[in-house]
Order: sequence, then structure tokens, then C-alpha cells
Amino acid sequence: MAVDSTMIRITPAQLRWRRFKESVGLIFASPTAVLGLVIVLIWVFIAAFAPYLTHYTPYEQDYKNINKGPSAQHILGTDHLGRDVWARVAFGARTILLLAPISVGVAFLLGMVLGLPAGYFGGWVDELVMRILDSIMAFPTILLYMIIISAVGASPVNVVIAIAIGGAPGIARLIRALTLDIRTREYVAAARLRGDRPVQIMFREILPNCRGPLIVDLLLRIGYAAFYIGTLGFLGLGLPPPTPDWGGMVQEGHKFMTTNVWPVLSATVAIVTLVVGLNLFADGLREETMRYQ
Amino acid sequence: MARYIIRRLFTMVITMLVVSIIIFAVVEIAPGNVARNILGAYATPEQEKSMENQLGLDRPVAIRYISWLFGSDWQAERKIGRPLKEIVIQQGTVERFRQWWAVDEDGSLVRWGIQDGQLYKYTRQPDGSTVGVPDEGAWKTDENGVQYFWGVDNANRAVLWVKGQGSVEYRYEYSGWRKFENAPVDYIPLTKGLLRGDAGISLRYRAPVSELIASRLKNSGILAALAFLVSMPMGLLLGLLAGLNEGKPADRIISLFGLVTAASPDFATGIFLIMIFSLWLKILPGATVFASSTAILDNPKMLILPVLTASLVEMGYILRITRASVVEVVQSNYVRTAILKGLTRTQVVLRHVLRNSLLAPITVIMLHVNWLIGGLVVVESVFGYPGLGNFILNAALYKDVYAIEAASMFLILLAVGTQLIADIIYSFLNPRVRYA
Amino acid sequence: MKEDPILSVQNLAIAYKTRKGYIQAVRDVSFEIMPGENLGLVGESGCGKSTVAYSLVGFLGRNGRITNGRIIFKGQDMQSLDEKTLRKLRGAHIAMVYQEPMSSLNPTMRIGRQLAEALAAHTDLPAEEIRQRCIKALQDVYMPEPESILARYPHQLSGGQQQRVCIAMAMLNQPELLIMDEPTTALDVTVEAAVLDLVAELQEKFRTATLYISHNLGVIARVADKVGVMYAGELVELASTEQIYTHPLHPYTVGLMRCLPDVDAPRGTRELHPIPGRVPSPAEVPAGCIFAPRCEYAVPECSAGRPSFQEIAPGHFARCWRAREWLENPLWTKKPAKSSTYVCAKPESEEPILKVEDVRTYYPVPFTTVRSLIGLEKRRYVRAVDGVSLSVDCGYTLGIVGESGCGKSSLARTIVGLETPTGGKMEFLGIDISNEPVERRRREVIRHLQMVFQNPDGTLNPSYTVGDQIAMSLKRFRVVPANEVYGRVVQLLEAVKLNETYYHRLPRQLSGGEKQRVGIARAIASNPKMVICDEPVSALDVSVQAAVLMLLQEIQQQFQTAMILISHDLSSVRFFSDYVAVMYLGKIVEYGQVEEIFSPPSHPYTAALLAAVPRPDPTLKQEFVRLSGEIPSPVNPPAGCRFHTRCPYKLGEICEREEPPARRMSMDHVIYCHLPADTLQAIHPVIRRSA
Ligand SMILES: Nc1ncnc2c1ncn2[C@@H]1O[C@H](COP(=O)(O)OP(=O)(O)O)[C@@H](O)[C@H]1O
Ligand code: SF4
Ligand code: SF4
Ligand SMILES: [Mg+2]
Repeated sequence: MAVDSTMIRITPAQLRWRRFKESVGLIFASPTAVLGLVIVLIWVFIAAFAPYLTHYTPYEQDYKNINKGPSAQHILGTDHLGRDVWARVAFGARTILLLAPISVGVAFLLGMVLGLPAGYFGGWVDELVMRILDSIMAFPTILLYMIIISAVGASPVNVVIAIAIGGAPGIARLIRALTLDIRTREYVAAARLRGDRPVQIMFREILPNCRGPLIVDLLLRIGYAAFYIGTLGFLGLGLPPPTPDWGGMVQEGHKFMTTNVWPVLSATVAIVTLVVGLNLFADGLREETMRYQ
Repeated sequence: MARYIIRRLFTMVITMLVVSIIIFAVVEIAPGNVARNILGAYATPEQEKSMENQLGLDRPVAIRYISWLFGSDWQAERKIGRPLKEIVIQQGTVERFRQWWAVDEDGSLVRWGIQDGQLYKYTRQPDGSTVGVPDEGAWKTDENGVQYFWGVDNANRAVLWVKGQGSVEYRYEYSGWRKFENAPVDYIPLTKGLLRGDAGISLRYRAPVSELIASRLKNSGILAALAFLVSMPMGLLLGLLAGLNEGKPADRIISLFGLVTAASPDFATGIFLIMIFSLWLKILPGATVFASSTAILDNPKMLILPVLTASLVEMGYILRITRASVVEVVQSNYVRTAILKGLTRTQVVLRHVLRNSLLAPITVIMLHVNWLIGGLVVVESVFGYPGLGNFILNAALYKDVYAIEAASMFLILLAVGTQLIADIIYSFLNPRVRYA
Repeated sequence: MKEDPILSVQNLAIAYKTRKGYIQAVRDVSFEIMPGENLGLVGESGCGKSTVAYSLVGFLGRNGRITNGRIIFKGQDMQSLDEKTLRKLRGAHIAMVYQEPMSSLNPTMRIGRQLAEALAAHTDLPAEEIRQRCIKALQDVYMPEPESILARYPHQLSGGQQQRVCIAMAMLNQPELLIMDEPTTALDVTVEAAVLDLVAELQEKFRTATLYISHNLGVIARVADKVGVMYAGELVELASTEQIYTHPLHPYTVGLMRCLPDVDAPRGTRELHPIPGRVPSPAEVPAGCIFAPRCEYAVPECSAGRPSFQEIAPGHFARCWRAREWLENPLWTKKPAKSSTYVCAKPESEEPILKVEDVRTYYPVPFTTVRSLIGLEKRRYVRAVDGVSLSVDCGYTLGIVGESGCGKSSLARTIVGLETPTGGKMEFLGIDISNEPVERRRREVIRHLQMVFQNPDGTLNPSYTVGDQIAMSLKRFRVVPANEVYGRVVQLLEAVKLNETYYHRLPRQLSGGEKQRVGIARAIASNPKMVICDEPVSALDVSVQAAVLMLLQEIQQQFQTAMILISHDLSSVRFFSDYVAVMYLGKIVEYGQVEEIFSPPSHPYTAALLAAVPRPDPTLKQEFVRLSGEIPSPVNPPAGCRFHTRCPYKLGEICEREEPPARRMSMDHVIYCHLPADTLQAIHPVIRRSA
């Protein structure tokens, strides 16, 4: 057998680094993904350094300046309570960039716990899980959130819970579908033939091989989570005031739009750019991974 | 094929059952119970307890669930020993309300009440008034010698009176709390149950939920139908165009447009449209104000922005799905076969690409109906549109439980039903399912 | 006077645009096809055969481009044609048949419309006439009930029928040139044989010039008048079929012929000569002779410059610096088989390591109706394995052959415990394992009963390195102390002819053959007493198959491992097995020592299988036992003898009614058939050497 001479003695660390470079290269191969990533990173930056980017806290009220347009003092103007719009946008970025990934993380855990066994064992386990998931998915997402939030009240934790419950069925279905496919692969049979237990197989053999589609899906879902956190805020079911929250800003400013569009405009532009950025990133990545395979 | 449909129907029923359990559980068992939601924070513990008893909230969860879904009248009938009847009172043309009566042996409608410690039976007269006579003979005696009586009271409840052991009842009326002595000790609120068309009384509007829903359904229906009529053909067409020109500038522009519209939250799209067309160009109204909630078609101009908002999000989604499907079909082996048969490009697209590439979007789009419904909530809220979405939102904000429950059930049934129809259409289009 | 060729390809070069720039998939290919001639194009996958085929009809996809050369069809330069003229050629003058018939037919359009469309695009015939011609075309390809076929959808036909429809569609306009791209690769041998018959017959009848592409030298020998051999995007040899097979002038052609076992060679009389290395990807073709890195005749000059495609003998072209040497000094002639030293002596005393008795494995058919869902209907089952008994002795190999879907894999999976049998008894090392899925088996049993899988791409977990995957078995079964695991993995890698550098590689950095080797190393890591190999080579390139087969044989001899080799390929079974079982629809129809199976007396099904194998030797005239129809569904297997729906020797009612009896022909040899012994004796596929 001819030995490939280029593969002389490479340490595991070098190999890992090479693989890491490959995955990063995947992102940079797609202009769409790069554009999305840049937009998202800008928001991450704003969220991280919010206190340094503005002189105001999102709560302090300037009674002399109420519902004013942009000025040297307030670059995006003030809202109906005289609060600085830019400060609220910047701090609002923190809220959404924190809650969205957390709720997707929780949804992922839930989805994994449901989807892996459903796909791996099949039979009645699958039937039961699928009926429950189907039922949750039958809810219009917004409606589900409304019901949950109106029952348990609006708070950051409850928003996370609601969005996690709403997102888990989709993730569970995806994991189930991937599991159904992967469990027929021969390496799963090989694992059984060395005596692996179902749990080991699910987490060691199946889950790692779901990661490609799963990462893309989770990224998309962070976008959706941001979408819904904004929407809940807009509907008055999001974070209780005076928390800086983009959706809430639109909701409050909505009534004053004819006199001052700035609070509404800023918050709307913020949410749209963030969600579109996340979507672009996920989309670019998906196309790239598909090409890669 | 028929089997397939029956099977789908079967799973749909199961899905709806689970949905009803979820809704009921979340809304009624959740912390911050119903009585408190209705009463607000200022009720005394006694008032709260009385209220729970009156609303039947102290009964076991399973019984409450069954009553909500299948009605409580048949449970009460067994206790009362007489058939019960619900009648609808018409006042003028619109205002209606419902009353529960027991049917006496002679066929007349009767209710009971306690006056000065005495049991009275009230018989309904043809003109709607009642005539009361003492009915002390109706008391029954249990093994401990306690005299009791199950009857229907004047607030549409089956109630249990125990002689000499009247409890206190608090009623919350417009004027405030009122206290009643000699009240019943147990209550079963009478309802026919959701499945028999009785969705209960809205706590906020004090009117039957089903009628409130019905009056708003038409408005939302018009909005949804128009949005669908705009978004579906546009989405399919643009998706087809993009897919057939994969990678070319036309595709890139359409795809980006689709991504942005699909990713923007509905409220953001709505706000942008208002800013452009209402605040800036000043050619369209930015909110909907109708003389009456039944007259929305009188001013079609007001519908434009809500319809456009609902359509844009949906269209972006349809467009993306269609494009992906078209791209896949164009690369398929059978399209290659068709081209190598010597068909023209138009023939290939019309005969081979179109049908196959629409298969996937149709199911996905129909699965997306609940998305459209969710979108309506937001769009109606943005524009203050008097529809079902707005109604539900307000119910949620005011914790109007029966309204939330009934409206949710209704909307989900609508969504699931549409999906069933989509499945049937799909199986007609796809011979692999049709001849399975 | 010399006729003009129908098609002439001159110095054709084709490139695909990819991320990394243009990849030259085809370089400098030239050939001609005369009217009525059948040119076979042979080569391993990825050699550019399909690219050449699609370039002929101007269909290279958006990223493909002809970078050099000319394609001249009936005197016209195809590249100068506009889209409209090209469209008129496609389907009417040049038609094509594809590898995957199922995906090549539109799933939502009735067969009738798909056929009619091909005619309507090029003629103005009235609808009724078109219909009649479609029916006629279906009759020409021996489709039963053509009228009803017209109204069906593709998924309602079997693979063989779909391919017949595709052929009928291609022949509808009576094209001057027919291109067939691996038309039988996806089909079973018996179905393949019938389709090949059909192709030969149509050839005879319509005298259509044909370009026939296949990776199988046997198939090409059957159909082609002239053969081109492709390697890594280049045509390396081109000559008449006769010349190619008797006097090849390129080392690659010879390599292809020597690397595969011969179904007619008794066990032990043939050695395999694998071609070392692997086909280079088009992106990394070596300078000089592209075959040089794998060529055993390479001399330093070979790598210096690219040899040109030269006519070495009249009508015989080759691309090799040393081709003229081979003219005087033949590279290879069909050597007389060496005499066999192989004896299959059954150990008298020893207990078999594995005993399987009357094992059944049924898979429930998924619920499709409400009635079945709530239990009102009897559950239906796929009877994948339906009463199989066999035994394997220590250190011996049992081969199991049969067409796809006959239950071979299910049997293997049942034995190793991946499926639980529905009934029957299994004993391994004297331990009863009948009702124990692998999760409940003792570690000792699991350890000694391992498996090698078919699909190289699925056999390794893409997330872990090669070394880790082998090490996991070592650790689990505590084969060696923890600190010796690494060393042991390296040893195992060396045992499968890989080396230490593979330890840290991920599966996607390996070729198919290498993955399969790692799969074997993983299976033998626990020093098992028995290994079951389910089609271990059938997904590999032909040039790699031999090496893996030899590796398995070596391992078996070295470790005295008992093996079950499952294959649809009779030649590898004959090469490798001591005993053979022939399966049909979940049952064993014949069992015996390897040479007993491959010589009379034979079960009619075995004979048919044997006859269907296309031999890479144009001088052989095969007379076939042709099977009619297709393999029935294992949900409702035919009563009596399961083979009766297709058996050419069927005795009549008795075969439909009664299970055939076991006829013992010798100590080990059993045939399940109602035919009397002397008739069985006479059944044999007749293979005659033409004068
Ligand atoms: N897990 C399964 N579920 C249902 N049917 C199966 C399953 N595995 C195999 N089969 C069916 O069992 C039959 C035998 O298949 P298999 O053992 O794979 O045959 P072979 O190895 O000869 O290709 C086929 O009809 C196949 O479709
Ligand atoms: S040119 Fe040299 S390396 Fe190439 S095939 Fe001929 S002998 Fe082998
Ligand atoms: S039993 Fe009958 S049908 Fe079966 S193989 Fe023998 S002759 Fe043929
Ligand atoms: Mg198989």
C-alpha cells in the first residue's frame, strides 16, 4: 500500500488546529456568512461595551427633553419619558443577546432529551414523543408564548421558558430525524457490537454527528428567538418596563410615532439588523456546509 | 388514499386532544390562579374562596377539564334528577344571552332560589317573567338526616342548598362586592362544553366567548385571506424565478429580499410600512379605525397596510422554500432526462419542474398556517385592527381565561385543519402517496 | 470504401469549475464510432466516463466546459451548434440511458406521458399514432402488458422494468447514436443478464451505434465490438474487443483483468493481483504517465513526459511509453490455471463454532391503515429470513450468495445480534444466543463474534480518529493493558497494511479501500473467533477490491478466524469460501462445499445465478438459463417452492404446493428441489469456447 508521504508524523494538536482552520475557512468561504457575522459582531460589541458607548443609563429621565429628535446631547433623541434612545438601544442589545442564546440553549437541551430517544428507540417512545411534539407545534408560536406568558407572568426567566418550550419541538424533530438516519449507519452497529449501551451510543456516536445541521439550525433559532423576544416585547408580554427591551421600545413609542419616530425607528432597525444578520450567517453557513458535503 | 386521509384525521384528533390538555393545563393550573386573576389583589381570603367555589374551581382538575371540553350539564342533571335546558334570549337583533333551566315534569322551565330560608321554585312564563312558589316539599334527606336540595339557580349554576346551613356568597358586581347569606354550599357552573359550542362567558366582556369570537373572525378572515392571496402567488412566482436562475443576479436579489422580509419581525415590517406610506408619503392611513367592527370593507384603503405587512413576511418564507425546492428539482436526474429528450426549456419547466418543485412548498406552506395566524396577532396589534388576533392578545393581557382557551382552541383547530387539507392536496399531487 | 463514422471525438478535454479553480476531468480523449458499432468504455468510477458521455449531448451542467478538442456527430461540429439545433439532436438522433432508472423518470408523471413526450418533441404524429408507437416500443423491450404500463407511475415498477422503460424511451425515435451510462449497475445479476440480452438484441435489430459505459469488464465483453479503457480522465487503450481481452497493451488494462477473481476458476487455482495505490483525483494528476505511480512496469522515463495515444498495432491504440515492447513481449495472456492444492477437509471431531437452526427474522410492515393501527388487522411482516439452518466450523469460511433483498444481510445481523430473531435457535461457542440482542449478550460472546460492514462511508464514525475507533474496542474488551493500547492499534493498522500515520486521521481523509481496512482492523481488534463480512468489497473500486479480499484471506489464515462472507458476487465467494450457501427469498436453496456448488448437480437458481455472471472473455459463448420475472415480495412469498414463479424447470403443481425436499447429493451437499437427482445433475450453465 502506497503511503502518502505528505502525512509524515503529525501531532494530534496540529491536526486539531488544521481542522479548526478548516471550519473557520468554511465561514469565510461564504460572503453571505461573513456579512451576517459582521452584523452580529457589531451588536455583540455594542452590547458588551454599552456602558462605555453612552453617557446615560437606560433609565434616567431628562424631563427637559421629552420625545425629542436626535441632538448633540442625545444622538438618537429621547423617548416619551425623556430617556436616551441610544442608551436604551445599546442596553437593549444586552437583553436580547443574552436571552436569545440562553433560551435556544434550554430549547436544545429539551429537544435533545426528547429527540434522541425518540429517534433511537422508535416504537411507542417515538409515537408518544411525536404526538406531544406535534401538538405543541400545532400552536401558532406567538399564541403559545402568549398563553404561557399570560399564565406565568412576564419576566426574563419566563420569557426564556416560553421561548424554550416553543423552540424545543423543532429541535427535537430535527434531532430525531438525524438520529433516525444515523442509527442505521454501520458505525452505530459497530458500537453495539463492542457492547456500547444505548446512552453511550446516543451521546457518543449519534449526537456528535448531528452537529453540522444542528449548528446551522441553532443559529437560525437564535435569530428566531430574537425575533420572538422582540415580538413579545412589542405585544406587551415581554420584559416588564423599565427594562430596556427593543420590542418594548417599539410598543411604548408606537403611540407617539406621529410626533417622534426615533425611539420606534431605532429599536426597529436594531431588531431587524440583528435578526437578518443571524439569518445571513446561518444561511451562508448552511450553503457552505452543503457544498462541502 | 382514503386510508391515508382517515389515518391523518385520526392523528389530528389525537393532536387536538393533547392541545386541549396543554391549553387547559397552562391556563388553569398555572400559578396565579384564575380567581386571583379575576379578582385582582384586593380580595379577602373568604371572598376568594367563595368565588372559587362558585366558579367550580375547587373541583378536581380532571372534572374541570371534562366539563370545559364536554360540558357539565349532564353531570348536574344526574344530581338534580331533571333534564336541563339552555335557552337563548334574544333582545333586539344583536344582544343575546343564555339561560339554564331545569325542565319540570309538566315540561315547564323552572329554577329555584332561597327566600327567607325557604326554598322557592320559579317557573318561567312565556313572556320571560317568572312566577315563584314555595317548594319546601322538594328537600331531600340523606342518611344523617340533613335536608339538602340540588337545583338550578338564577346565575346559570347547578347548586346544592343544605337546609339551615346556608353559607355566605360573595358576588363581584359592577358596584363592587355584594354579600349574600343563605347561599348554596356547592356549585357546578353549567356549560355545554367547548365541543358542543359553548365556550363560556368572557370574564372581561361578560358575553359568550363564542359570539365574541364569531364577530371578530370575519375581520381576521378577510385579512388572512387577502394576505394569503397576495403572498402565495407572489412567493411561488418569485421563488420559481430565483430557483430557475440560481446563482445569477436575479436570484441573488430575490433571495436577499426573501431573507430580509422573512427574517424581519412582523411588527418591524408594519412599523416600516407605516413610516414610509403613512408618516412620510402620507398616502395611506397608518392605523385602522372603523366606524363599526363589522364594517371593515367600507374603507378598503385602511386594509392595504395590514394586508401588505402580513403578506411580506409570509411571502419571504414561501419564496425561500420554493426557491430551494426548484433548485433541487432542476438538478434532478429526471429533469436531465427531460432536457436530453429534446424538450424545449419551457416544456421542461412547465411539465417537469413546476409540479415537482411545488410539492414541497405546498406542505411546508400549509404547515406554516399557524405562523400566519401568529402573525395576525401582531399585525392586528400594530394597526389596531379589530380582529381575532387583537382579541386574543387582549384576553391574554387581561387574563380572560375562557376567551384565551376557546380562541386558542379555535385557531389551532383551524391551523391543524388546514394542514390536513394540505396533506390531502399533497397526496393528490404526489402519486407515490396516492397509490400507496 | 470506408464508411464515415457516426461520431468522432478528437482530443476532447473537459474541465469543471470548482472552488479551487478548474479541474481537468477529461484530457485528450479521441475515438470514433461507426454506424452499427458498439463501443464500450470501461474504467473505474471517477475516471471521466460519464463526463465524456454527457459532453456528447452538450450537457455538462453549468460548471462544465469543453476546453479543447472537437466532437463531430454526422459531420457536424457539436460545439458550433446553437441551442435549438442541439435540442433537435437530443432525443431524436442521440439518445441516452442512465445509471439510476428510478431517479431518471419523473415521479409525478405517468409512464405513458413521459414516453409520448419524447416522440412528440420531434414529430408531428397524431396522438393515437404516438400511443401505438409507445406500446410498440414497450413490446420491443419485453414489457408485459404495455397498455397498463402506460398508465402507471415510475414507483409502481421494479428497477429492471424502469430500466426497460428508459431503454424504450431512448429507442422511440430510432436514434443514430445511443449512449448507455452504466445501465445495469444498479440491477441484480439476473436482471442485468436479461437487460444485456435485450441490449444485444436491439443492437442486432436496429443497428444503432452505441456508446456503452460500464466499470465491469465482463459486461463490456458481452456487448462491445470495440473497447476503450479510461483511467483518470484519459483514454489509455482502445482496440477491438478481441484484441483488448487477448492482447492488452496497457498495464492498467492488464491490472483490471488480473485483479478480479474468476467465477470459473476453481478455488485455489487463481491468484489475485491488486493494483497498488488509488486512482488519483483529477486535481492531482501526476506529471508524466498518469498511471506511473501504480504501474509495476514503470521505468524512470515514464514519469518524465506524458506518453501520447498511439496506434501500436493496426486499430490498436495505447498510451504507454513501453507499448511496443508489449507487442513482442505480451504483458499477460490468459494463463492456464495453476493446479489447485486446495482441499476442504471437514474436521471430524470438532463441534461447529456456530450453529443456526431454523432461524427466522421478520420485520413488521409499518402500519398503513387505521384498522391496523388499532390492532384490527393482522400485522404483516417482511419475511427477510425464513427458516435458515447452517453451521460454521472453526477456522472455516462460509460464503452466502444471493440477489439483493434475499435476506443475506438480515441473516448476518441476526447472528451478530443486531436484530432479534423471530424464531429458531442459534448457538455460538456452545452458548445459546437465540433470543439475545447484542445488548444482552455476554461480553465474551460479543468479543468473539464481530462484523465487517459493506459501506465504507458508513463504517467509521466521522467524528473520531481512526486510531480512537480501534482503541475503543481494545479498551472495552481489555485485550491489552491500557498502556499498550497505542502500540496494539499500530500493530493492527499494520496488519491491514496501513501504518502509524493513519492513527490520527479522520475517516474523511481516507479512501474507500482504506476505510474498509480500518473497519477490518476494528473487527479483529478483539481477536474474535468469528468475523462476519457483509459484502466487504462490493462498494469499492474494482482495483481495490482484490487487495481487500486478499487481506481478509490473509487474516483468516493467520488468525484461524472463522468467517462468513456475504456477497452477491459469485466469483469472490468461489475465491474465498470453503462452504457456500445459496439463498433465495429468505431460504437456503443449496448448501455444500464450494466446488460442489460451482459444478453440477445444481439447484436451478444456482445455475441461473452462475449463468448470469458476465465473463470478461469475449471468446466464451455463454448459453444462459434465463429467469423470467422479478424476485417476488418477501411479505407474501410464493407458497411451495419460493422459486417456482421464475424457475425454468418447474415441475408443475407440486412446486407451487409443497416445500421442496432436501436432496442430499453428497455428504455436505444439499439441494432443496423437487427435481429428481439425475435431472439436477444435468442442469448446468453451458459455457462454450467459440471455435
Ligand atoms: N430494518 C428493516 N426493516 C424492514 N425491512 C427490512 C429491514 N432490513 C431489511 N429489510 C428487508 O428484508 C429483505 C432482505 O434484506 P437484506 O437482508 O438486506 O438482503 P440482502 O443482504 O440480500 O441485500 C428486503 O426485502 C429488505 O427490504
Ligand atoms: S508509460 Fe510507463 S508507467 Fe505508464 S503505463 Fe506504460 S509502463 Fe506504466
Ligand atoms: S422445486 Fe420446482 S420450482 Fe422449485 S427449483 Fe425445483 S423445480 Fe424449480
Ligand atoms: Mg445487503
